[in-house]
Amino acid sequence: MLRRLPPALVFLFAPALAWAQAWGEARVDFTVITGGGKRLAIISELSPVEINRMHNWRLRLTDGAGAPVAGARFEVRGGMPDHDHGLPTSPEVTGELEPGVYLLQGLRFHMPGRWLIEFGIRLGDDADGASLEFEL
Amino acid sequence: MNTRALAISIFLPAAAILVWLLAPASPPERWNESEAALIASLSLSALPQPPPDPSNAAADDERAARLGQRLFFDLRLSATGAVSCASCHRPELAFTDGLPIALGTGPGRRHTPGLLGVSYSPWFYWDGRRDSQWAQALTPLETHFEQGADRAAIIRLLATDTEYQAMYEEIFGALPDPARLPDSASPLGGDSQREAWLSLGPGLRLEISTAFANTGKALAAYQRKLLPGRSRFDDYADAVARDGAARQGDMLGREEIAGLDLFIGEAQCINCHNGPLFTNHEFHNTGILPVFGQLPSLGRFDGVRLARGDPFNCLGEFSDAAPGDCAELRFARDGNELAGAHKTPGLRNVTLTAPYMHTGQFTTLAEVMRHYNEAPTAILGHNEAKPLGLSGRQMRRLEAFLHTLEAAPP
Repeated sequence: MLRRLPPALVFLFAPALAWAQAWGEARVDFTVITGGGKRLAIISELSPVEINRMHNWRLRLTDGAGAPVAGARFEVRGGMPDHDHGLPTSPEVTGELEPGVYLLQGLRFHMPGRWLIEFGIRLGDDADGASLEFEL
Repeated sequence: MNTRALAISIFLPAAAILVWLLAPASPPERWNESEAALIASLSLSALPQPPPDPSNAAADDERAARLGQRLFFDLRLSATGAVSCASCHRPELAFTDGLPIALGTGPGRRHTPGLLGVSYSPWFYWDGRRDSQWAQALTPLETHFEQGADRAAIIRLLATDTEYQAMYEEIFGALPDPARLPDSASPLGGDSQREAWLSLGPGLRLEISTAFANTGKALAAYQRKLLPGRSRFDDYADAVARDGAARQGDMLGREEIAGLDLFIGEAQCINCHNGPLFTNHEFHNTGILPVFGQLPSLGRFDGVRLARGDPFNCLGEFSDAAPGDCAELRFARDGNELAGAHKTPGLRNVTLTAPYMHTGQFTTLAEVMRHYNEAPTAILGHNEAKPLGLSGRQMRRLEAFLHTLEAAPP
């Protein structure tokens, strides 16, 4: 399982499975569903994603009807469950580029294998969250 | 049971064990697609150009590299006149020193790391307490047990040596007038150096520190050129990439290939020792014991804090970078998980750079293998590695593979 280095990121959850291999080949949105039923699309600015390279992601948050969700605050954590360690960096959402589209900076993955990213999403007092699991 | 049956019952199992112990490695006949891709990812042919260093405008200036090379070997850049950068980073030992702990003007704290290919790393030192090669290069100059010099003395040397002065000023502009420079002064030195530093006006202090930063930038411009040479492994990896997944038994020996098979597979070395330099440049706690009589090193836990506080970091006033260029420093991670974590060293020429680990705890690669095979509980923090359960023969094969990464000195 750990032997596959770049590029294919494979989501194990979420409706994005049909597009799963595409992250390694083209810049495509991948979507996970939040606990509160919103859709969180994730686009890597580094395509294909490679190990050991600092890069950014864009996060597009929409509600059940497909309308952008503006003004959300994010907390991003993650790591490698199989190796009992976290991310090598501390990525942060540093701005909202347009309503509902957020810039997540400071991502770098330093090992091949299974990664888990957890998004904490706050909208006023409303706490929501989503997680993304992929193989690098 | 008669004697003959008894002899057979002892002899046959013994012979079987002997055959098993002495049998040559029998790696599978072909690498599969993902194995071949992993092997190709380790080749020097997959190494891009060194990443730009926006914090150092002179990073790729040939004139700065020439100045840096002279400075690197100049013994006058020390308090005793007997220690240069090259005293510990010896070119003939892949820029290491063969000692467990570095020895400069006095005994050091950690094992001297090699320099080949380190320009690809976002962090420097075993604990990553510097975020650029030039900020790193400045530190030993003023550390009392390394070169023990101070920035005023070094800038005085540059400003009074006519060759240095000409080389420096062609790149960076005018040096401070030596008549205005004290013999010795630094914010980091002993009492007399600090008092001398405080007695200088803020303008002159800034001039000296700026010239000092430029000295580091020239040293970094030279060190960026120190790259590992091609090894037998690289030719093999390129052949695997070129000829489908065929095993090239004539380029590497069977034991070496079996070691490679373990390296990318069962032994999990490639998890951290990945990419063409065999390092992810990251920090891991692997349960290395402290040197007897020393407190365990906090490693990256301290290093990230020190890097943030370094006036010569990417976001500091001596950096040439825009704040947006300093992603590694801005998004550096903190946390207790980093206690005891030290940087993954690259493995090219590892057979030439004994002893091993951040304080040279292990004399031989066999000891290193045994350590990772056992994955002992860490004294500080937790060991990320898990026991591997490799046999002695497998560990010897891994070691055989590491010999294929040797290359002639650059």
